[in-house]
Amino acid sequence: MEPHKVDMFVMTNSKFFESHQIPLIRERLVQSDDSKWIPLQSIQFKDPTISLIVSLLGGHFGIDRFLIGDVGLGIAKLITCGGLGVWTIVDWFLIMGTTRDKNLDKIHEVLY
Amino acid sequence: MNSSRDLYALLLFSCVAGYAYLFYSVSLVEAGHGTFCLFKNISGMACPSCGSTRAVIALFQGRVSDSFYYNPLGLIIASMMLISPIWITRDLLRKQESFFIRYRKFEKWLAKPIVYLPAMLLILANWAWNIIKGL
Repeated sequence: MEPHKVDMFVMTNSKFFESHQIPLIRERLVQSDDSKWIPLQSIQFKDPTISLIVSLLGGHFGIDRFLIGDVGLGIAKLITCGGLGVWTIVDWFLIMGTTRDKNLDKIHEVLY
Repeated sequence: MNSSRDLYALLLFSCVAGYAYLFYSVSLVEAGHGTFCLFKNISGMACPSCGSTRAVIALFQGRVSDSFYYNPLGLIIASMMLISPIWITRDLLRKQESFFIRYRKFEKWLAKPIVYLPAMLLILANWAWNIIKGL
């Protein structure tokens, strides 16, 4: 892919990834061919800030886990009272990182 | 969950914590202790899974109808607490990933609207029942 396209993509989507992942993503995108551009543009990334808000409000019912696609863990959280409240609080701190990891997985699915 | 190791570690840890909490609460349920439930402590209303500790304890004591009355979700929790450690240990000994594969299939199955919509309705109905019962 052309470097200026990749730079544009990275600039507009940098908030969806961990800062240390961005150089790797950029490098990988430059190496990949142009046919990946359209699927790449159509990926819907999850916003870590939104997932944090959902976690603060509905984390007790596992809604944050449902939102990022961890359905199994969402159910586990829902039926155990948010892991007795402990898991809810732990997830307030972990959910943003987990969301960014999920976004990276989505890029991987397109590129490989 | 991206790897079976993460899932197995989390589930085994939750099971150990769950059993520890059960032993802790067996003596305290009769004494009428408070609850850890954030939602109930804040709002004063029962949450969808309120009563499941009592349900699991009742189930392990053989009082199945009591258990169902407290919270039907207790049945799911109790079966997961019994089955998952055995299944995961078997997987770890045989170096297989059968539990993880089944978990992934279950997640995909649950992503279908025909499955998750009735499931959501059931959870909501159960929640309404919890509030009516005043758990």
